[in-house]
Amino acid sequence: MENVGALALLLAFCISLYAIVSSVVGRLKGKPFLTLSGERAVLAVWALVSTAAGILVYALLTGDYRMAYVASHTNREMPGFYKFAAWWGGQEGSLLFWSWLLSSYAAVAVLTSRKTHRNLLPWVVAILSTIQLFFLILNTFIASPFQVLAVDRVVTSVADGMGLNPLLQYWAMVIHPPFLYLGYVGFAVPFAFAMASLIEKAPGESWIHTTRRWSIVTWLFQGMGIGLGSAWAYHVLGWGGYWMWDPVENASLLPWLAATAFLHSVMMQEKKGMMKVWNMVLISSTFFLCIFGTFLTRSGIVSSVHAFAESPIGKYFVAFLALSIASTVWLILDRLNYLRSESDLESVVSRESSFLFNNLILLASCFAVLWGTLFPVITEKLSNEKISLDAVWFNRLMVPIGLALLFLTGVGPLFAWRRTSIDSLRKNFQWPGIGTLVTAATLFAFGMRYPYSIISLSLCFFVTATIVLEFFRGANAISEKTKSGFIPAVIELTHRNTRRYGGYLVHMGMVLLFIGWSGHPFNQTAVGEVAKGAVMQVGSYKLKVLDLTEGEMSNYSWETAKLEVTKNGEFLEIVEPTRRFYKAAQQATAVVALRSRLNEDLYINYAARSGDKATLQAYVFPLVEWIWIGILVVIGGTLVCLVPSKVARAYTRTEVVGVAKANAPVEV
Amino acid sequence: MVGYLVLIRPGDLPKAAPVSPFRHLDERKAAIYENLRDLQFEYRLDKLSDEDYNTTKIELQKELAKVRAEEDRLKLELGQLPGRSAAPAMAVPAPTPVAVKKNVCPSCGAQFEKALKFCGECGKPILAKGEVA
Repeated sequence: MENVGALALLLAFCISLYAIVSSVVGRLKGKPFLTLSGERAVLAVWALVSTAAGILVYALLTGDYRMAYVASHTNREMPGFYKFAAWWGGQEGSLLFWSWLLSSYAAVAVLTSRKTHRNLLPWVVAILSTIQLFFLILNTFIASPFQVLAVDRVVTSVADGMGLNPLLQYWAMVIHPPFLYLGYVGFAVPFAFAMASLIEKAPGESWIHTTRRWSIVTWLFQGMGIGLGSAWAYHVLGWGGYWMWDPVENASLLPWLAATAFLHSVMMQEKKGMMKVWNMVLISSTFFLCIFGTFLTRSGIVSSVHAFAESPIGKYFVAFLALSIASTVWLILDRLNYLRSESDLESVVSRESSFLFNNLILLASCFAVLWGTLFPVITEKLSNEKISLDAVWFNRLMVPIGLALLFLTGVGPLFAWRRTSIDSLRKNFQWPGIGTLVTAATLFAFGMRYPYSIISLSLCFFVTATIVLEFFRGANAISEKTKSGFIPAVIELTHRNTRRYGGYLVHMGMVLLFIGWSGHPFNQTAVGEVAKGAVMQVGSYKLKVLDLTEGEMSNYSWETAKLEVTKNGEFLEIVEPTRRFYKAAQQATAVVALRSRLNEDLYINYAARSGDKATLQAYVFPLVEWIWIGILVVIGGTLVCLVPSKVARAYTRTEVVGVAKANAPVEV
Repeated sequence: MVGYLVLIRPGDLPKAAPVSPFRHLDERKAAIYENLRDLQFEYRLDKLSDEDYNTTKIELQKELAKVRAEEDRLKLELGQLPGRSAAPAMAVPAPTPVAVKKNVCPSCGAQFEKALKFCGECGKPILAKGEVA
């Protein structure tokens, strides 16, 4: 079986190579048969990689412990769900997963655009196949998932595997990597289309139209992956945080930031034909940051909580990145003429410039995160001393950057495209501005003294006000015209331009995230060694230890504390924070007791046991719940963006309407 | 598998959807129309001052005129003028085949001092198709 899998990968490698050659030659020599053959090769590669992946998954599920990968990532006790997830639980498997996703994406790209983009498709196939080829080299020659265990050249098997890291045996963790990978891999397709249109010098913006949905979906996957990761950290790791600026976390954030910048600036190209070079640079950077993220996660060059073993694949990634960055830069420079902008920035006070600032800030944050992530590597090279930058450094830098972005989120909708005169500006800013100042003053009056929290919450008000106003005014205008109710008018308004109003919903989700983050300075912590009958206080909560118990299960042993929670003398509930010790992996995990409310979370972690005393870590985290709600709103808003706009579908019938107040002749 | 890659019958070649040479111009035009619609809506919501509205509107109309001129140039190049254009230009309002006086817009009736290709009021072509000035 494993030989069939390895053979399938080897064949896929050969066929990818063939796909590149036949597409390029077919396009250059004008041989449609060759290019079609290249397209078929993409489908064939998909079938082969799927075969290999199927064999690996089958081996994982049935427990074929002759195979090294199966033995080191599953054991007999694991539920089937986690056995399946072991596919992406380790180095070799996850690289195969990458390959498989890429081949699936490529197959979908070929099938969906073979009729519409005959000229671009050969290049798209060639570019995607090149990326595929790189990963298949890793799959086949460097990190094969089909290696078998052997003693003295005789294939052997072990009685039971080592099992999946118990920390990872949690539902959010099972789907966190696939979502991140869907994001990482997905940006390859917009990148391929962008490069193809550069190579072909295709007129117009067709690559943007074709990949618009694609980018949004991929961005959504990436964001969901990040969100699931932080939800997992919060609910499982027991330290009560959701983000610690770990290199691998940063690696997933980097392409997301670049893609966010891209999604914004691409609107300027669609609307005005501006920023073409910039958009090429952004989509390429996004893709390279995806590869870079995979590299960072998989090579172990920086130490991380996502501790993967040091491995030799790093240098292959560096070579691949260097080659592809060099060729992309050359291509963009060579085609600068084709990317000439069709219009200029008319005024600094305009929607365009707010987009521009948004882009600059997003890119600045990208650089900051990249710098912070690579700092240990750089210092090690320069001074043989690895200096890691901690969360404090990142927060000092990223909090102001985040607030600036939040401010722009509110300002954007108040500016008009092209120009906004002082008059309109005053009119638009008046009420949200006053409201913001009032919010800040109120927060201060109620005793809040953390400047960042005050600024953040006031800006949250500001952004909310502008978004609500935007919906309210638009819906009002529609309901006046169509004589419909307010709610149908809101739906109609959103449906007319789903990308804009869906985008506002996404912004609203970001506001909720900022509300959640603003609670951070008010966290309260209490750590105590408690015996039965003792009482522990955290914030306004009292925790009374009713009992300390322990027990054995088939694959782990557990210890737990039974606590009675009261707040201001009022009984709330009984909670049981637990600590499990997994025997196979020799690792402890926490089952945190969590009482989530909209105003604050009570978070209790059972840390350790000594004699008849247990060490408990209790925290009160204000407003954290809003982070998870915010993520859901972001997802909802993005889904709205994906619904086709009503106007766009009906625009063949639209005409220029309007009554100009001043008459100005147009000369051609 | 090799057969699947190599054996390709002529019938297998996908028929490319007809690509109009005007596609990028149509897209550009659609974008401008959308910009105009947005502008109109924002003006109605009182987000824009009269001055901003007018300046931007005229700019957009000029851009539209440029795209249409480009379209005409392309048509001439392809030898399609006069005659039917290969692709129905997506966002172009159907030209009204009414005999018109040179300086009066057939659509909205606005009058201009000199002959214009496009109406400064409503943006529609003033010359009926096929009538070259």
